[in-house]
Formats: sequence, structure tokens, C-alpha cells
Amino acid sequence: QLRLSVNAARDFTLRIQRQNRASPHSPSPPPAAAAMASKPVTAPVPITWYPTLAVFMLSIGLLITASFFIYEATSSRKTRSLPKELTTGALASFFLGFGSLFLLLASGVYV
Amino acid sequence: MEASLRAQRTAALLIFAFLSLLAVSSSAAQEIQILNAERRIDLSSQIAIVFLTLKVENTGKAAASEVLLSFPPTEADHLAEVKAQAASGKKRKKTHVPLDVKPTDVPDAPKGAKCFRIALLNPLSPGETSTIEVLYMLTHSMEPFPAEISQSEPQLVYYRDSAYILSPYRIKQQTTFIKTPSTNVLSFSRVEPTNRAGMELKYGPYEDRPAYSFSPVLVHFENNNPFAVVEELVREVEISHWGNLQITEHYTLAHGGAKLKGVFSRVDYQSRPGASGVSSFKNLLARLPARVHSVYYRDEIGNISSSRLRTDSRKSELEIEPRYPLFGGWKSTFVIGYGLPLEDFLFESTDGKRYLNFTFGCPLSGTVVDKLTVKVVLPEGSKDPSAVVPFPVEQHMETKYSYLDVVGRPVLVLEKKNVVPEHNTLFQVYYSFNPVFMLAEPLMLVSTVFFLFAACVAYLHIDVSIRKR
Repeated sequence: QLRLSVNAARDFTLRIQRQNRASPHSPSPPPAAAAMASKPVTAPVPITWYPTLAVFMLSIGLLITASFFIYEATSSRKTRSLPKELTTGALASFFLGFGSLFLLLASGVYV
Repeated sequence: MEASLRAQRTAALLIFAFLSLLAVSSSAAQEIQILNAERRIDLSSQIAIVFLTLKVENTGKAAASEVLLSFPPTEADHLAEVKAQAASGKKRKKTHVPLDVKPTDVPDAPKGAKCFRIALLNPLSPGETSTIEVLYMLTHSMEPFPAEISQSEPQLVYYRDSAYILSPYRIKQQTTFIKTPSTNVLSFSRVEPTNRAGMELKYGPYEDRPAYSFSPVLVHFENNNPFAVVEELVREVEISHWGNLQITEHYTLAHGGAKLKGVFSRVDYQSRPGASGVSSFKNLLARLPARVHSVYYRDEIGNISSSRLRTDSRKSELEIEPRYPLFGGWKSTFVIGYGLPLEDFLFESTDGKRYLNFTFGCPLSGTVVDKLTVKVVLPEGSKDPSAVVPFPVEQHMETKYSYLDVVGRPVLVLEKKNVVPEHNTLFQVYYSFNPVFMLAEPLMLVSTVFFLFAACVAYLHIDVSIRKR
């Protein structure tokens, strides 16, 4: 009977040690939640696209900014139209804003 | 002061032993008796791991649904974890079922004894026997003696325990085995029958001891295994829904063994590694999850380059070497940080709430953490955070202001004292989050840039001339 408990003791401690040694950070949902079929939460945009999106959006934004300033420089006070300026500005700021967000994400600053 | 402390302690233990000899009035606890108890104490590392096998018999008339465990006050303060399981079956076909263990108050226990209640799965009917296995761990229970050693001496420690297992029940037969890390045992108390064979000390078998019987024993042995104690660890887990989990860990590491006396000779340490600084340690292993990126190891001076990261598909191992080897009483503080992919740890449950499934506990293996704080930083706009942790922790909320924050991010802080590697299990933090809030960050950037354009337009349209153009 003593030998049985020797083995049991060894098994218990081995199991604990194995539990500690084997990575407990297994990326699987906990058992209770697995029954609820939980799905992993992923980023809205695939992470591999971040640098590409940053470059494209920023370049489009800068092109529209350039067109905005060219319009401002070439038009005179009479021919200027406020709605056109504001729409160009809004479009440029949209692309520049999202482009800088993706730039931050691509460089590792996960905001 | 050392002598008077020891005298006080032995006096307390003697009073304890005297009290136990007084007849204990029969109470509900006496309906159970333990037929056979075997205790195996493993003193190989700095954590004392005790494995207790109890063969319990119900001698009363009513069915017993719980079994009580008790620990002396000195052990109760250092108790890190108590686990129990019910063993059934024979030899190879043994099955183990984990049992619930909760601290409880037993009114007639001797003063200071801490009791735990093990809830049995099936109540034990009168006359029936059952085998219960208990595993518990004690930290800081090995006292270095001598308290200060020089560089060339080995580390010797005291371990104090009782030859008789402290239990609220009568024990018919009991044996205690103590396993030491080496064969160098300087002295041990004798409570006959006592035997020593190599690295194992055997106290027992003792027949028919009454409840709460206690006989203090002292074992003085050599233990050179690293006494790595993390005095304080603050782990911050920052969740970003854009796809990353950033973990920053601030460590205060100390050597918890015998303090170093005299000077530290680097020449001796490097030229004779087997004879110099045998109880010191110079590297530690941190087990990190797989797919970890951007790992850094730095302290207040700057980056510490003495580290190695080995990754594979299932786990990553970071082996760190502090700037100097740690001898008794020496401390080191550093920061380890790393990033993890979000989809491995953040999930959405069917009721719409999101939850983080992460490990609680120090990734450094073989260390004892005196105070562990885990801070889970939830994204801005998260509501109703709640944590599900397998053991008791203290919780409270804080706010953290990070990148592009307006109202701040809610932080759920979990604190626990006396953490051992056993506590490196998964815990969950549930919260509800409306995905619309993710747009808050890009819209903030867009509106800032638009404000600049609007300012341009306004400047070009405003006429500040005095003369009419």
C-alpha cells in the first residue's frame, strides 16, 4: 500500500510539474466557453494589410491636399467656391486621417 | 535576538503540544477518523511541496459530506496553494477527481490553526472509507541558517514541521517522508521511530494519535537550489482591438536565501564555479506564449542584452541573465515586455460579451512572487468588466490614459499575494464593447486634419484690409 501511494505522489507531482512546464498559455478558449462555441476576435482589417493601406491612403490624401492648395493658389477671390474647398478639404482629411492611423498601427503603436 | 525568537517559537510549539495532550471534547469533527495517512514533503526547491494521502473512514452515524484539514499557524501564513482530489480504483486504473477546497473556521480548533474544508463529491456513508489526496505548497518555509554565508560556503537551511500530521481527526497510522535535495543533512530531530536513508528522512509509522497532535521537528540541510523570489511583479496587459495584446511586466527580483557576508570576488566566482557561489543564480527562464513578437528586456539603465529568445510553434522561451549574478540579499529590477496576436487570447462569447483568456502568474519558472498585480487595460468605451479567476484575488478598477484617449481606458486590477508556479493558470476578463467605438480613434485624427484645412480656408476667405479691395 505504501508503494502505491509512492507512485501516486510521484504521479501527482509529475502532473503538476508537467502542467507547469508545458505552456499553459495554449491559445484555446476555456472549456466552459468552448461549449458556447466562442470565436476569436480579430482586427477589422487584416493586420498584413496595414503597411500597404497606410502608404496608399497617405499618398491619395497628399494628392488631394496638393489639389486643394493648387486650387487655392490659382483661383482668385471672385472665382473661389467655398463648397468645393470644403469638400476637397474633407476628402483630403479623411484619407490623411485614416492613413496616419494605419501608419501608427503599422509601426507598432497599437492605438 | 535570533535566540530569543527561537525560544519564543519553541515555547509556542510546546504550549501547542501541551494543549493537544488535553482531552479534546468530542464534536462533529470526531465522527471521521483517518485510518492511514502518508505525507511526502519535497524540499528540493525553495517551495516545500507536501503531498498528503488520507484514507478516511466515517465512524459516525450520519453521512459526512466534508473532510477538514488544519495547518499550524506558522504554516498557515506561508500556504500558497491547497489542492485536493479523490482517488478511486486500484493500481493502474486509478481515477482522480478534483475536489473543492475552501478555508473555513472551526470553533474548537486550537488558536491560530487555519482550517480548510474539502467538499466530497459523494457523501461518505457511515462505515465507508475513501482515499483523498491533498497537495499543498509552502513558500518561505525554509529559513537559511547560518543567515549569512561567505561566497565559498554552501547554503544550509532549517525546515520546521511536525512529526505528527496536524489534523482535526484521530489518525490510526501515519508516516511522514521528507525528501532533501542532497545527502548533506546536518541534523534532524528524532521522534522515534525515525530513519534516514540517503536523501529521504522517514518519521513513523506512528500509531493511534489523537486529534490535533503536534510534535515539532527541525531538519537542517543543504539546499543550493536558486531561491529566486520576485518581491513585486506588476503585469500590465493592454488590449487593442486593432490586433495586438501588449504585455509589460515590471519585476523586483531578489535572492531569498542566506545573505552574502564579506566581499564578492569576481575572480573566485568565475575561476572556480563549482566551489564559489553555489547558492547564487545567474539566469532565469521565462516561458512565454507562442507567436510572441517585439520582446524587450530592459531596466532603468537601458537595454540588457544578455538574453536569448527561442521560439517554436507551441511556446517561446526567454532566457534572461540579469546584469550580475544574484547572491543572498541582492536585488535586481527590470522590465520585460512583449506583444501577442489578439486572436489567440480575445474571444467573443455567445451572449455578445468579449473576454480575454490569459494566464495569471509569473512567466519566470521556479520563482515565488510575494505580491502579484495583474492590470488588464481594456479599450476605451468598454463597459461592465468582470473577472473570473480560479482562486481568490482582490479586484479594483482604475483608469489609464494611453494613445488617442479622451475619457481614458478602464483598467481592471487583480492582486494576489504569495504566488507559486502552480498559479500559472488561465483566467478570463469579460467586458462588453460596441464595435462603433473603434471608429473614435480614426475620426479623431480625421477631425484634427480637417480642422487644419478649415483654418486654411478661413484664413484665405477673411478680409483684414482696411481699404476696400
